Amino acid sequence: MARLLSSNAVLKAIATVPAALSSRNVIGSFYPSGLKYSTSVPGDPDTHEDFRPTNKVQGSDVSLKDVVEQDVKENPVMIYMKGVPDFPQCGFSSLAVRVLKHYNVPLSARNILEDPELKSAVKAFSHWPTFPQIFIKGEFIGGSDLILNMHQNGELKEKLKDIVGSPKLE
Amino acid sequence: MGVTKEQVESSLTSNLKPSHLEVIDTSGGCGASFVIEIVSEQFEGKRLLERHRIVNAALEEEMKQIHALSIKKALTPEQWKQQQEAEKSKPDA
Repeated sequence: MARLLSSNAVLKAIATVPAALSSRNVIGSFYPSGLKYSTSVPGDPDTHEDFRPTNKVQGSDVSLKDVVEQDVKENPVMIYMKGVPDFPQCGFSSLAVRVLKHYNVPLSARNILEDPELKSAVKAFSHWPTFPQIFIKGEFIGGSDLILNMHQNGELKEKLKDIVGSPKLE
Repeated sequence: MGVTKEQVESSLTSNLKPSHLEVIDTSGGCGASFVIEIVSEQFEGKRLLERHRIVNAALEEEMKQIHALSIKKALTPEQWKQQQEAEKSKPDA
């Protein structure tokens, strides 16, 4: 079970904030090369071992780096955090989510607590030691201190204003 | 285990020659969580993201054990002076 979790945590960990109305489905949009043999039910515990996706064949670091690259490219607002947006498991991640939710933009998230390898891959990708980490339109923004600062000085509003799928209902 | 406030201060001091530095241990003693205010000439002409990167780099060794590092202020001496003066002129802020 533990083994299953590590190979599929990447796919499962992705979460979309329902409050952001536009339901972006990031899950089906790509398969990292290491997981290309997995079909629609990657987490099925009944699957025989031989048919489970493996990513041991190639260095898992490589494919996880690709995952991160895809994430930040395909999701206008991508956050790597501790917990999920509706249940953050760390005060800093919670703060970052609260700031971003102000703007009614689609928020894509991965929970790095579920996957230590993904965590290392994100850290290596951004050269940033802590979480949360926020990417907007592919650009690394920083952690909670920076997102709060940009919220306060208006830069964040500027950055997010042309992101589609943000109907203003309030 | 853990990192002391003094270790954080000495690494930042030797790397960044700050003109003002305040390190607060917010971990309750285990040495894994700090809040930092730092003023250094090395931040001149750098965006906030780059300033944070400079601080992170200066604490590279310590970061292995620190879980939460909040950089409340990373200012140039000039900005720091302006802030101090602004605070003086409206004392209730």
